[in-house]
Amino acid sequence: MTESTQPAVKDQIREFIQENLASVKGISSFRDDESLMDNGVIDSLGIFRLVSFLEENFGVRVSDEEINPENLKSVDSIEQLLIAKSKK
Amino acid sequence: MAYTLQQLLKKSAAQYPEKTAVWARGRSITYRELDERSNQLAHLLLQHGVKKGDRVGLYFPKSVESVVSMFGVLKAGAVYVPCDPAAPADRVGYILGNCGVRVLITNSEKRRGLDVATLHSLQVSVLVDSELKSGNGGGVIPWSLLAEFPANNSPQVTLTETDLAYILYTSGSTGRPKGVMLSHQNALTFVEWCAETFHVTSEDKLSNHAPLHFDLSVFDVYNTIEAGATVYLVTEDIALFPTTLANFIESKGITVWYSVPSALVLLLLHANLQREKLARLRTILFAGEVFPMKYLRQLVELLPGVDFYNLYGPTETNVCTYYKVEPSRLDSMDKLPIGIACENTEVFAVNDQDQIVTAVGETGELYVRGPAVTYGYWADSEKTAKMVVPNRFQKNFQENMYRTGDLVSLAEDGNYYFLGRRDSMIKSRGYRIELGEIESALLSHPGVKEAAAIAIPDDIVGNRIKAVVSTHESQTLKPAELQSHCAVKIPKYMIPEIIDFMDDLPKTSTGKIDRVRLAQAALV
Repeated sequence: MTESTQPAVKDQIREFIQENLASVKGISSFRDDESLMDNGVIDSLGIFRLVSFLEENFGVRVSDEEINPENLKSVDSIEQLLIAKSKK
Repeated sequence: MAYTLQQLLKKSAAQYPEKTAVWARGRSITYRELDERSNQLAHLLLQHGVKKGDRVGLYFPKSVESVVSMFGVLKAGAVYVPCDPAAPADRVGYILGNCGVRVLITNSEKRRGLDVATLHSLQVSVLVDSELKSGNGGGVIPWSLLAEFPANNSPQVTLTETDLAYILYTSGSTGRPKGVMLSHQNALTFVEWCAETFHVTSEDKLSNHAPLHFDLSVFDVYNTIEAGATVYLVTEDIALFPTTLANFIESKGITVWYSVPSALVLLLLHANLQREKLARLRTILFAGEVFPMKYLRQLVELLPGVDFYNLYGPTETNVCTYYKVEPSRLDSMDKLPIGIACENTEVFAVNDQDQIVTAVGETGELYVRGPAVTYGYWADSEKTAKMVVPNRFQKNFQENMYRTGDLVSLAEDGNYYFLGRRDSMIKSRGYRIELGEIESALLSHPGVKEAAAIAIPDDIVGNRIKAVVSTHESQTLKPAELQSHCAVKIPKYMIPEIIDFMDDLPKTSTGKIDRVRLAQAALV
C-alpha cells in the first residue's frame, strides 16, 4: 500500500471496533493482537456488524464460512483477512 | 433411585468407566477419571476446612475442570456457586461475599482480577491452571496437588435430597444479583423428567452451549452423566461463529442440542445448515426467551425429523412447563405455547381476584408447586417471602409455591401461553435482566441525576437495551463514559448500547419516571 491521506486499513478497523463495539461495553482500549473474543469486545451480534463494516468500507465480500475465529480473532487477523482478499 | 446428583456419576462410572464423559477445548475425560478426580478434589476440600453445606465458588472459563469441580464440591457435601467468568470483578466479589464463599476454585488470571477485600475473605484458592511450584503459599493450591489425595473413594458425608447442591445468581431489581438456592431434589426432579421425556442414552452426545452459571447447563451436564453419555462444552471461540458452530455440531456428532433461541437463529441465518451434515441431530431443546415464529418455522423445515421442544421455567423452578413443537400446526400458529406442566410439577395461573384460572382464554400470573421449586434466595428472606409463598389454595399441609411474575393465558388446546411480565424484568439472549439493576449501575455515577433503562424488542436477541439519563447541573457526560462506568458493575450483556441524555426525564401523574412513554419513544 502507498502513502495516502486515507488512514491505514488497520487504523480504520481499530477505530470502528473501538467506537461501535468496545466503547458500548465499557472497554476503552485493546491491543491489535488481543483476542476480541476473550476480552468480550465481540459478541454474537457484534460479529455481523463488524462484517458489514468490512464489506461496506473495503468493498469486499465476506462469506459465512470466512466468519470464523481465525479470521476475526483480533485487529491483526482482520487486517490479514483483508490483505488476503485484496490479492485475490 | 438417586437422591443426590453425585450418585448419577457413581452409577455411570461403574457402568462406563472408559467412556468419554466430558469434552472441552480439545481435551476430554473418561467417567473413571471424572469420578477419581472429583473424589480427590472432595478430599482436598475437606482437608482445607470445607464443611457440609459450605459454599465453594467456581470462577474460571468452561473446561473439563469445571465438571470435575462441580462433582468434587458436591462429593464434599458442599454447595457450588458458579460465577460468570466474564462478569466484572465487582459483581463476582459481591456474589462471593453474599453467600460467604471462603474457598474458591479459579485460575491465576481470574484470581488476580479480584479486589483486595474479596481476596482477604478467601481462605483457600484452588488454581485449575497451575502446576505445583514452590512459593505458592498464601492459601493458593495448585490443581496438581489433587494427585496426593485418595482417588477411589469419596469422603463420607451424610446428605439428603433436601440439602443444597448449587446456588445460581440472577439479576436483582435492587441493583445486586440474587442467589437462587437449588437442592439436590430440585435438580433431580428436572433431570429425571428430562431423562424420561427426551430418552437420553449412553449413545447420545449432548452439547453444552449455555454458561455453567445458567440453569440450562443443568440438563447438559447432569443428563449426560445420568445416561452415561458424552457432553461437549461449547466455548466462546466456537459459540460466536455460526459456521464454526455448525461444523462443531457435525464433527462431534451432537445428537441433543439445548440453547437459547438466539443461538439457533444465528445458526439458521448464517451457518448454511444442511440436514445431511447434521444427520445425527435428533432433538433440539430451547428455553430462556421467546422463539420468533418465522425463524422457528424455517428451522423446523430445514431440519426434518428433529424433535423440537420449547422448555419454559425460571431458574427458581428450572423448567416447569414444556411444549413439543408440532410442525403441522406451526403455519397456523402466531405464537408458540409454553405448554403444559412437567411431570412431578404443577402449574396454575392465578387471576386478579386471586382465583385459579380454569376458563379458556383467561389470564393470570403463573404459579409453580412441587419438588422443583427453590427454597428461595440466599440470605434474602424478604425477597424469598415475596416470591416463594405458602400455598393458600390447599390447607391440608404446609408447602410453598413459586410465583413466577409471568403473565400467562390458558388456551383451548390445554397449553399455557406466555403473555408478558408483571415487573420490569426482561430477557436478552436468554439472560434475565432486571432493568433496575442497570439503573442502579447508572445512578451510581456521581454525575447522573436520573436514569431509566428501556428494552427495545429485537428479532434475534429478544431485547436490546437503551438508557435515558439526566445529569446533575453543569455535568456533561458522554455515553462511553457511562458505559465504562457500568462495565465495572454489571455484565457486558446488561450495558445499554444506546444512552440518550435529557434535561429531565418525563414523569407520570404520580411523579414516577414515565417508562411507558420512554419505551414508546424508543420504538420510533
